[in-house]
Amino acid sequence: MSMNLRDLKLRLRALIRPGQAERDLRDELSFHIEREARKLIDQGLPPEEAALTARARFGSETVAADQCRDQRGLAFFDNTVQDIQYALRTFWRAPLTALTIVGTVSLGLGVVAVLFTIVNTLLFRVDRVPDVDQIYAVQRPEVSDPSLAAFTKRHFDALRAETDVFTDTFAALTNIDLRVDGRMTAVNLVSADFFRVVRVQPVLGRTFTAADESEPGGNAVVVLSHKGWDRHFNKDPNVLGRRVTVNGAPFEIIGVMPEGLRGLEMSAPDLWAPLAQLAQFRPMHAGREDSVGIEIVGRLKPDVSKESARAQLAAWDSNQAPTAARTVGIELVPKRGTDPQPLAAVALFTPLFFAFGLILMIGCANVANLLLARGVARQREIGIRLSIGASRRRIVRQLLTESVLLALAAAAGGYVISRVALERAVTWMWRVMPMDLGDINLSVPAADWRVAVFLVVAAIGATAMFALIPALQATRIEPVRTLRGELVKDSQPGRARNVLIGVQVFASALLLICSAIFLRSAIASARFDPGIRTADTILLEAINEPKRAAMLRAFASESLITLHAAVRPPLLAPPRAGLADSGTGKNQVRYKFVSAAYFDVLGIQIVRGRPFTPAEGDAHPVAIVSESLARSLWPNGHGVGETFRIEADPSGGTSSGAMLNLDPRPNDEPPLAPRMVTVVGVARDVPGFRITDVREAGVFLPTSLETPKSAIVARVQGDPDLARQALIENLTRVDPNMGMLVTLRTVARLETFFLEIAFWVSVILGGLALLLTVSGLFSVLSYLVEQRTKEIGVRMALGASSQKVTRLMLAQTAGPVIVGLVAGGALAAALATVVLATPAGGLIAEIVHISDPVAYATSLAVIIVACLLAAWIPAARAAKIDPMRTLRQE
Amino acid sequence: MNRTPDLLPGTLDLLILRTLQKDALHGWAISERIQEISEDVLQINQGSLYPALHRLEHRGWIEAEWAVSELGRRAKYYHLTASGRRQLAVEAREWERMANAIGRVMKLA
Repeated sequence: MSMNLRDLKLRLRALIRPGQAERDLRDELSFHIEREARKLIDQGLPPEEAALTARARFGSETVAADQCRDQRGLAFFDNTVQDIQYALRTFWRAPLTALTIVGTVSLGLGVVAVLFTIVNTLLFRVDRVPDVDQIYAVQRPEVSDPSLAAFTKRHFDALRAETDVFTDTFAALTNIDLRVDGRMTAVNLVSADFFRVVRVQPVLGRTFTAADESEPGGNAVVVLSHKGWDRHFNKDPNVLGRRVTVNGAPFEIIGVMPEGLRGLEMSAPDLWAPLAQLAQFRPMHAGREDSVGIEIVGRLKPDVSKESARAQLAAWDSNQAPTAARTVGIELVPKRGTDPQPLAAVALFTPLFFAFGLILMIGCANVANLLLARGVARQREIGIRLSIGASRRRIVRQLLTESVLLALAAAAGGYVISRVALERAVTWMWRVMPMDLGDINLSVPAADWRVAVFLVVAAIGATAMFALIPALQATRIEPVRTLRGELVKDSQPGRARNVLIGVQVFASALLLICSAIFLRSAIASARFDPGIRTADTILLEAINEPKRAAMLRAFASESLITLHAAVRPPLLAPPRAGLADSGTGKNQVRYKFVSAAYFDVLGIQIVRGRPFTPAEGDAHPVAIVSESLARSLWPNGHGVGETFRIEADPSGGTSSGAMLNLDPRPNDEPPLAPRMVTVVGVARDVPGFRITDVREAGVFLPTSLETPKSAIVARVQGDPDLARQALIENLTRVDPNMGMLVTLRTVARLETFFLEIAFWVSVILGGLALLLTVSGLFSVLSYLVEQRTKEIGVRMALGASSQKVTRLMLAQTAGPVIVGLVAGGALAAALATVVLATPAGGLIAEIVHISDPVAYATSLAVIIVACLLAAWIPAARAAKIDPMRTLRQE
Repeated sequence: MNRTPDLLPGTLDLLILRTLQKDALHGWAISERIQEISEDVLQINQGSLYPALHRLEHRGWIEAEWAVSELGRRAKYYHLTASGRRQLAVEAREWERMANAIGRVMKLA
């Protein structure tokens, strides 16, 4: 349809002054009828008859008016406004229904949106880099021996010189967390071409140039990310030229990158430094920089396809790699700042989406139940509208508008709920999270347009499924019969209702069983005693070796510290594997080096003999063994005074299978020289921490505080967290890059912490599920009682007792509830069996009591009680029905 | 009531435009005029007259003004616009061509 100026004017008039346009239309049509009547009167008809005939000749005024409105072209818009007004009036008339629908669906959507926001940052939130899809990481597939898969600086130089598939290439070593100026800082080391690959200009200063990494060492410069600029320098505009201290060396800040650039990682580092400065950031790599594994990333030339690039690189690689790696091949993995293993993330999140989606599903089931009940009432309204000439299309559009309005409100509600939930969750995690373990990358994931689209689509999907379909069903009615008050019952709302209740109970059962399992496991784990003194002990790891002496002096002079001792490998790393031979053959043992005060600091009792003396250093041929090892080596003797030979286990012993590796550093200390040792003491067995698989060793060998690579455990006065803060302040003055300082209380809490998170997530979901189920059950039963008032009245009049009536009403829901409970319990048990069958099953089972019968029983009991309560109130109301009154209503 | 055959599609617009060629008329008068001149052969479905009038108004071929009518109450009087006149010429020519063609076929076939 052509649009001309006049048309626009008319439409605008109708739009701006809809009242005027409507009045005019009415006037025009009624004038016609009046004029026709006048003509008939003039022809001799009596006035009343003339009026009637005129009206009859004109036909339906409403229809004509409607068709005139349609001519406005933007009738669509006009109708939409009307539909919205109508819908709002409907909501206003039954505000509780509208609120319930919006509230329930927003709750479900909010819960799912929380998860989607997280998945979004993992999978879809591509870094703000131009043409990011040209950027690929060059990788060898994962093989059992990681040293074969790693690229080094030498490979990087060779790749740049010998291949021709990338416009620019950079090498990187990412996720280096260390103290810069005393604050934990996330650093990515990159070669100078990094900024040419990402093609992003700094907002302040400059980025790296080839000169910055020219000679070994290069220039000591760093570029801040926007995040680092904000976190560490409060967006100081004069930050350029300032210096930060990294392991004692000053680094100049030469640039600040714009907001949004994450450097192709999921979370932006605080700063980038030249890869040539590796030794300053990772002192342990000093002198062997060229053998450190690095990541190689390049921007593909526009005319080179990924496949041909891969082939060319594979050909190049087969000339590079050591023979064993030749068969390994080359992969090009998209590098976009999203999860490099999307499949693994999807696998991880699918069950979570399932669990979170259950809430949405239960909520929608509630809405559907509500609408099934209301659908009957609506049949009448729709019947009336159909019979006064509304087209079916028009009514469907009206219902559609209603659903979309509800959906949009629910999407908005869901957004608010998801934001609040995420903020709260992160704040809570900050509060309870063991300090210094996760204080780098935990921030509230941002919601972007994808989250908004997701919410709107999901909301419309949910309301369409559960609100529109019952409504559409409602238009397929015969107006005449509904007007007569006959309700058309093609469908069987009763069966649908039962299915819905069953599904709800099933979902709540599943979620509540999970939460009960996690709760009981968390309680058990909080009660678990590692056998190590955790209340007032701290652990200092990764001391800078050049600063060791100064650090020890500072440590010794701290008044807060009452006792301290060395331990190697650090306390949170698994003890080394060794072989002990007491003359009867080699036994696999685990050993560690500790200094004299170790047992005292950690409160490990020496049951026989004595602890090490401060004079006993690394070379002393003495050892302390655990009670259990003493028993197995010398079943008859009491251990002290015995001698045995200990050597390193070349096989590395059985793998520990730790859930969390808190010590990612390589084991690069020289192997233990075989030696004969005399047992001077026997220590009580302690279980050690479970989550990191830091079990105590069987053999303790002496060492001293001065020995390199030893960590320090210490006992402090007063609150360990306060002591930790004070120590960090004092010790960073000695060495600004001091390593990890953590209280053992925190480590002990770690295990409970993860269970606690799992518990809270599942208990919130389970609680919501139960709440929704119970409220749904309640409203359905209330509705049923109302609907069956007459029948109940008749039954009671015929002599049914009120108990019988109550029982009848309860029996209505008993079936689906029981089916739901059984199905939920069975699925939970089946899932548990599957989890136990996985390789990690054993370890999980040790911490999470997957098939805890008490957890099953309590959660099922909770659901039964809740359902009984929900059913009881309407059932009791049914029992109070006065038969005479209901019958009189007939 | 004696049912008259439905108007050929599209002819209602032509008839309205032609009726308004001389004077400004309100809706009822337009239908009366058409009926009168066609000697009751063409009876316009009252309900479809107004949508047509509104459609023509939106197209910009006719314009309306409110004026006091013979009944003493206000009525909406339609009149042709310049583009309406052009459109009338086009449609009339088109109609003539069509009528002639049909006439010839009726005579000769």
